[in-house]
Amino acid sequence: MAKATEQIQYETDDPNRIQDVGWTFKEVWRRTRGFVVTSVNLIIFFILWEIVTTYGNINSLFLPKASAMFQELWIGMTTRAPEGAVFSGSILDHFLHSFKNLMTGLAIAMAIGIPGGLLMGGNKYVESILSPYVWALASLPRIALVPLFILFLGFTTTMQVTIIVISAVFPIVINAWAGVKTTEKSLLAAAKVFGANRVQLYYKVVLPYTLPFIISGIQQGIGRGLIGVVIAELFGGSNGLGYLIQRSADTFNTAMTFAVLLLLIVMSLSLINFTRWLEAKVAPWRNVNHL
Amino acid sequence: MQITNENIIVAEDLTISYDLHRERKKLIALQDINLEIKKGEFVVLVGPSGCGKTSFINAVSGLIPKSGGSVKVRGEEVTAPGPDRAMVFQDYALLPWRTVESNIRLPYELQNLGISEEEKKQRVKNCLELVDLAGFEKSFPYELSGGMKQRVGIARALATNPDILLADEPFAAIDAMTREAMQAEMERIVSETGQTCVFITHSIDEAILLGDRVVVISYRPGKIKEIVNIDFPRPRMNNSEVKISKTYAELRDHIWNLVKDEAMQTTRGE
Repeated sequence: MAKATEQIQYETDDPNRIQDVGWTFKEVWRRTRGFVVTSVNLIIFFILWEIVTTYGNINSLFLPKASAMFQELWIGMTTRAPEGAVFSGSILDHFLHSFKNLMTGLAIAMAIGIPGGLLMGGNKYVESILSPYVWALASLPRIALVPLFILFLGFTTTMQVTIIVISAVFPIVINAWAGVKTTEKSLLAAAKVFGANRVQLYYKVVLPYTLPFIISGIQQGIGRGLIGVVIAELFGGSNGLGYLIQRSADTFNTAMTFAVLLLLIVMSLSLINFTRWLEAKVAPWRNVNHL
Repeated sequence: MQITNENIIVAEDLTISYDLHRERKKLIALQDINLEIKKGEFVVLVGPSGCGKTSFINAVSGLIPKSGGSVKVRGEEVTAPGPDRAMVFQDYALLPWRTVESNIRLPYELQNLGISEEEKKQRVKNCLELVDLAGFEKSFPYELSGGMKQRVGIARALATNPDILLADEPFAAIDAMTREAMQAEMERIVSETGQTCVFITHSIDEAILLGDRVVVISYRPGKIKEIVNIDFPRPRMNNSEVKISKTYAELRDHIWNLVKDEAMQTTRGE
């Protein structure tokens, strides 16, 4: 018995237990391989695309050259429409419009969703009153509501933002709600034993516990919100990336269509990776394995 | 550790029941418990799973209401948790977003103990030294091993300098080797602070090595079956004489015979 204790002491106290290995080639590679492999992979992908479209018998109306797409993207992102133009061919103008709508929509969705979800998790009566509506609207394909919102609000930015809000708000509500409901009982018991009142219980335990849930709700909300952006603009609007996809395809400018699609992918991945980074930053203990 | 003659915890006909809403029935977890615990005493509760040991501790801490009888601490009826009683949890119950130091300071943030910032700092330092965790103040619980996490749990319980330490199977999730080391720590800490300790375990060895008295509780409804006095001198943990003595074997056998039938009942789900 005494021996076991001694051994444990020795293992944790020995200063030579952790040794400095320094930078080896293996270590550098271990840290950079993800980035290197992805970069090489993408470069090969676009080169193959270029070769196939240059030497293969492919109509550029259906599949443009990769270089044409990048050129379209570069020009579109570096030029703006002149003052007073009726229609802008600049990707940047449409991107800014969509991005601003998305951010406004997400902000409103968070302002409604976070307190709503917290209240539903914290109060049985609020929960039983609101949950049928939340589940009904969350299970309805949001695209089905677009004609209705066009009818209510016309082809306006308000209509587009409303669709983004309605798309993004439910994952946020449901995650915040679930976070409160799943707060570990023993943490609550511990706080109570050490003297927490009801307010402190929420402020010191439930809220910090729920924070990572809220962030992953926002992450899902971004994905849904982006669908909302494109749908709203495809159906009703004269600006935004969704509209530009429609317009460029209608005018047989496939390179522009692909350029906008690429931009959407980059935008979506950047936002989602930002929230993942945020989640890992505020809740390192959760150690969630992302795909 | 000096055991005084002053009764610090007194349970009289204590009954605790839970509502089973689905079946519209009441489950009586503990029935007519009469137990007097003296100041400075180390009392261990053993009994099969679901016999109401945790209910007893929760009633003393003030976490759950009683259905009948009374439980008094220093002559006052328990109605809510208080800084004179602290608890150590089986799953540690550390706030994962707080550092070790911040977890130990939690009781200070939740209630006003009327002590100065200087003293709080000093106490946190003392608690960390007492559980052998000095140097880990800035670590997060997820960076620590199970044994170290429970040391934090114990340090947090000691932070308010409580009279009564309630421990609900604190070492159940810890591996066998670390567990023995932790038992030795527990014995040392409680004798150094002179606290009264109510300790739940499923391990008969742990019960005999730690307890001044072992209270055997029967299965559903939980009643006190027998109270066994343990008279080994302390410290017992690093005394190899204790474990190989004849008295130890007899005590072990006696307690096992008391819980055996009950444990069998649990496995059959009766």
